[in-house]
Amino acid sequence: MRNYIAVVFNGTDKAYEGLHALWQLDDEAQITVHGTTVVHRNSWGGFQVDTKDTHPALATAVGVGVGALVGALAGPAGIAVGAARGAAIGAASGGAVGVGADLIRGETRDQAKAETSFVLDDGQSAVIADVSEDSTSAIDSRMRNLGGSVYRRSKGDLRDDAWFDDSYLYPYDYYLYPYEYIPSSSPV
Amino acid sequence: MADTKVKDALDHVRASAQELHGAISDAAAKRGGAVKADLEVIPQKAKAITDSIKGSIGAQNEATKKHLTEAATYLGAVQNHAAEALKSTGKGFQTSVQKALADARASVQEISEAVAAKRLTKPSTTRK
Repeated sequence: MRNYIAVVFNGTDKAYEGLHALWQLDDEAQITVHGTTVVHRNSWGGFQVDTKDTHPALATAVGVGVGALVGALAGPAGIAVGAARGAAIGAASGGAVGVGADLIRGETRDQAKAETSFVLDDGQSAVIADVSEDSTSAIDSRMRNLGGSVYRRSKGDLRDDAWFDDSYLYPYDYYLYPYEYIPSSSPV
Repeated sequence: MADTKVKDALDHVRASAQELHGAISDAAAKRGGAVKADLEVIPQKAKAITDSIKGSIGAQNEATKKHLTEAATYLGAVQNHAAEALKSTGKGFQTSVQKALADARASVQEISEAVAAKRLTKPSTTRK
């Protein structure tokens, strides 16, 4: 099975433990990990994605893509929010051409905040991953032991979501790192 | 602690491709853009991974072969884009670096798909 997962933890350190555990499962050949990142929601609701690239345009694409993915992993409620907010960000992005990146970034933050609210509470972090797994038990068991809650949807289901813009699948390739990436500086 | 896991050729190819992507993405993320010195070794590294793929592909199943063939194509593109970057300046340089990065990501993706395809054909065992 090819699945996207979000594993939610109370705190950044636990999330990085979860990230490491996921790659360990890959190393043990129990699953195959195609890409991972860690996202954070601070005490004020601000949403941040671990990424090496600080270019505003890419950061915007990353925020939109990962926010949409996390929302979709939450199931119908998250999808509904994603559908509503997706239209808003589309309009804002078009209107902001020539105005500057701040509006887009502001809208992205709002969108990501709304989309991720069904999965991530303030102060929580989540590991996002694209995995191949024969059964769900390896990840579920390992993450439960670390105190993580697993949200999971198949890649096929995501593609079938009518609102889910296929273009979001391409940013996945850029913000899901194909190895264990932890920023050197504190992300939150 | 010593690593006691037995890794096969495909695992080593994947690790090398992950390292290649890491090197290009680190260079691309540098403030002020990638430094050419960081990119000088990229074409050789990409070629070495391609050679490793060619050396191990014969022993793989069809699904794995397909992904590895795709990976080799992307790695060829990485070589070309990195070589172009080394000959370019300004925007042309940045564009070539971004293309090399995208193709490196695609190559790792294909290799991890190959690993998944290979693991599907094996009983669930540890490699310790």
